[in-house]
Amino acid sequence: MNIIKGFATTFKHLREESITLQYPEQVRPFQERFKGRHHLRRYDNGLEKCIGCSLCSAACPADAIWVEAAENNDEQRFSPGERYAKTYEINMLRCIFCGYCEDACPTQAIELGHEHQMSFTDRRDSIFTKEMLIDAVPEGGQPTPQKVEAGAFDRAIPDMPDPK
Amino acid sequence: MSDNMVKIIIDDVEYEVPAGMNVVDAAKWHASNDIPVFCYHPKMEPVGMCRMCLVEMGTLQRNPETGAVMTDEDGNPLVRWFPKLQTACTQVATDGMVFRTNTQAVVDARENVLEFLLTSHPLDCPICDKGGECPLQNLTMAHGPGESRMNFSDKMKLDKHVPLGDLIFLDEERCIQCGRCVRFQDELVGDDVLAFHERGRTLQIITNSDPGFDTYFSGNTTDICPVGALTTADFRFGARPWELTEVPSIDPHDAAGSNISLSVRLDRDFGGRAMIKRVMPRQNEYVNELWISDKARFGHHFTRSEDRLQKPVVDGKDSDWATAISTIAGLLEGADGDIAAIAGSGMSNEDLFALRSLVTANGGKRLGAWPTTHTGADLVAAVGVGVGTNLSDLGAGDAVLIVASDLEEEVPIWRLRLKGAHDRGAYVVVANARKTRMDDFASATPRYQAGKAAHWLDGIDKADPEVAKALKAAQNLVIVAGAEGLTLDGSRALMQSAANFLIDSGHYGKANNGLMSPLPGPNGMGLHYVGFTPEVTADIAQNPPKVLIVAQAEILSDDPYARAWLDKVETIISLNLFPDAVADMAAIALPIQSFAERDGTFTNGERRVQRFYTAQGPMGDALPAWQALSRISEHMGQGKAKASAAAVMVMMSNELPAFEGMRYRELSRTERQFPDISGDDMYYGGTAYQNKGGLGKVIPTTAEQGETPARADVSLPPVLEVGKGQFVVLPATRLYNLESTFRPSTLVHPRIMSPFVEVNAADAARLDINNGDVVEVKLPDVSVRVRASVNGGAPEGALVLPRHLTDDPTPMTVAVGEIAKV
Ligand code: SF4
Ligand code: SF4
Ligand code: SF4
Ligand code: FES
Repeated sequence: MNIIKGFATTFKHLREESITLQYPEQVRPFQERFKGRHHLRRYDNGLEKCIGCSLCSAACPADAIWVEAAENNDEQRFSPGERYAKTYEINMLRCIFCGYCEDACPTQAIELGHEHQMSFTDRRDSIFTKEMLIDAVPEGGQPTPQKVEAGAFDRAIPDMPDPK
Repeated sequence: MSDNMVKIIIDDVEYEVPAGMNVVDAAKWHASNDIPVFCYHPKMEPVGMCRMCLVEMGTLQRNPETGAVMTDEDGNPLVRWFPKLQTACTQVATDGMVFRTNTQAVVDARENVLEFLLTSHPLDCPICDKGGECPLQNLTMAHGPGESRMNFSDKMKLDKHVPLGDLIFLDEERCIQCGRCVRFQDELVGDDVLAFHERGRTLQIITNSDPGFDTYFSGNTTDICPVGALTTADFRFGARPWELTEVPSIDPHDAAGSNISLSVRLDRDFGGRAMIKRVMPRQNEYVNELWISDKARFGHHFTRSEDRLQKPVVDGKDSDWATAISTIAGLLEGADGDIAAIAGSGMSNEDLFALRSLVTANGGKRLGAWPTTHTGADLVAAVGVGVGTNLSDLGAGDAVLIVASDLEEEVPIWRLRLKGAHDRGAYVVVANARKTRMDDFASATPRYQAGKAAHWLDGIDKADPEVAKALKAAQNLVIVAGAEGLTLDGSRALMQSAANFLIDSGHYGKANNGLMSPLPGPNGMGLHYVGFTPEVTADIAQNPPKVLIVAQAEILSDDPYARAWLDKVETIISLNLFPDAVADMAAIALPIQSFAERDGTFTNGERRVQRFYTAQGPMGDALPAWQALSRISEHMGQGKAKASAAAVMVMMSNELPAFEGMRYRELSRTERQFPDISGDDMYYGGTAYQNKGGLGKVIPTTAEQGETPARADVSLPPVLEVGKGQFVVLPATRLYNLESTFRPSTLVHPRIMSPFVEVNAADAARLDINNGDVVEVKLPDVSVRVRASVNGGAPEGALVLPRHLTDDPTPMTVAVGEIAKV
């Protein structure tokens, strides 16, 4: 009797549509709030949103983020604030993708994206540098550092959503 | 209850505190009650400007007849409360005062003051250098309103990047107008270079000096500023405070031995090594209180200068330690005991001991100290200021004599503290051939002829009987004797005269009495205690040895006359931070570590042995000097190399009586110090750091150890013969100069004077020299082209020629020369 029950289940499932995806050819769509690897964002004019404040690194429970800051000047401007991240690194082997850095960031510079395919053959490769994390310069924007008009940016922290 | 103690009640608990103690201080020290403050600072007079310290205050009601405290039915004392809250910082403790610091009225007042301050305060915390150790942040968290009723977009906008001089930046928006910076400069330093400008919320701090913020103490204002309004150009955005590791250390620039804290962090640009991000003061009330000079704060860049010597150099080629050590061993063996050493005062006590051991084990006897400007450390060891001395204790009834020293330029912290002594009523005498900055804080300023300091002090009873009488009559007397305008013999004569004076008047062998000397460098007294003397250096120059070890003594950069005798030395072995001219001449040049890269101790001018700890990552292959030297000893079979500086100190404390009991554990002891700046309440004393590295230990004078100091005859040096048209050339010290340990701090370069010679106005008129003219100063075998400065700084017949402002050395000691316009 039990054998028949068992086979019945098998046949029932045989008729159903398969739910297995042929990863990596097929990829399941992500939830909007999925937390993958980080991106450092830019404003439309190309300036970096990150002001090098290290709050992300302070918030990080895994101590995965390393920030070194430096001061902007009008000849070499990276961010609209007074300072920018001279070094920005995230150790992806340490990161637990909790998103606390995103919450801590006062300028929404760091955001966790959907990318999750990360594998390394060397531990050093797990350290993502600023160059790897930062977004491409948007169309119409300038790459950083930018030379800007003297006095155009006089705030310590940009208070505009998208400084021109 | 002793006479000067009174009883006050704080939050219903009775405390006994000294009468007249400031109530904020008393609450903190005796009751562990942190009354929040912004404008009050325990080292300065209260002004009651910020209202943060509001408390309820009252007095006990007493029965007019019996004087007994009146009570209500329940037996509680009756208190006559003031109708309004009072500022605690402007109250001093008197008997029967009652305070409440935790009532609703006080809580509301604090909240209101903070809300008001924040109405026009920017939201800069994420990038503000003070963020994380900011009194305004901390007090807002503790006492502030949770939410603001104000509109953020409506805030006042002011300039955020105002340079106050070259070293300090002002953010006008962040300033809460507490006036601490202005008052510090005015009250404590006496350089009144900051001021308030405008009124109301547009009020700003401005500097009214040229160059801006012209003082040697500007950095301290950034520590006591309760917000991030004042920041240093050096640290600006270097790191967040919580990311820094504080390493206790000692200022390597002068004899004060200021306790500092090196804030270090790993840095990619420094190869991932620990790098000094900033230098902060560390509290030691005996040494530097809460202050450090700008040289201590901004002069740390030499430790990581790319110009540092990074590899041993053997016969002009980069080499390695094994080769260098075996070559040196060979040289020392071949010297037949004709070995001598000259050490500079950047060497730690341990380094000096290792050097001494190496030289003596190989038959050498001569240990010379560098530079040969100052001597008399033996007299400081005999009748120096007694154990327990604290310059802050000097006041009315006490006296200080500063002779032959430009203290502001030589040891700025002593100048700051002795200015305080003058303010408290001490009789401060500044004797010099010329006007120095300390004259502004002196009760008397006797002048002697250039080069005749020793003659003056030896004959003070005749020359200045009034001064002599006042000094002798003082309750406590400290003599600070330098060597400006003197030869080495002259320095000896002056020191002996000073010692004689102290012995005659009985001012020695006890706290706050005795002799101090602004010996150059951080370890001038250490040189003495380990057995290195400048007299021996003079002897080495007369009779050059076969092998000479020159350790951290930049002889050729200091002395224009040294090449003549150094050339006669067969082999030079150099140990230095930098590949200087001596290293170039040397058969072997060994790279050694700076104070920041290793552990060690310095003995300061008050004979306090103090520890410094490893802070920075090492530069190249450099080793601590003690290690390099003891490895050579080990190679030569003269004992095993020690594993740590602490182990060297153990050996030293066994062999040298002066260092008895100076184990590292003893040196790192601390005690509770007033004002109590420990803990997280950085609003009280500023961001000076709690001392966790030790207060050090003073080597007692021989007088205190029971030896009666003997007066000795002073052999006055011959008077300089000045021919017609000739001048006495007085070498002077400038705090900011081009010495190798300061030159890499390029930030301060705008403040280094361009080379000049100070000429007396009458002489200048005679020679038709105007202020700013290029002149040539001709000295025996040396001549320099500099600008003339005719600003009242030189006595007639003398030229003041500051050292270390040019690449070419100028004479170290007084000389006779000529001047001509070019
Ligand atoms: S990413 Fe955001 S939180 Fe991190 S340093 Fe940059 S601005 Fe600060
Ligand atoms: S001064 Fe203090 S409260 Fe003001 S922005 Fe800086 S950290 Fe924040
Ligand atoms: S700059 Fe700082 S110390 Fe000076 S008044 Fe403003 S807040 Fe006070
Ligand atoms: S008013 Fe008392 S601390 Fe400012």
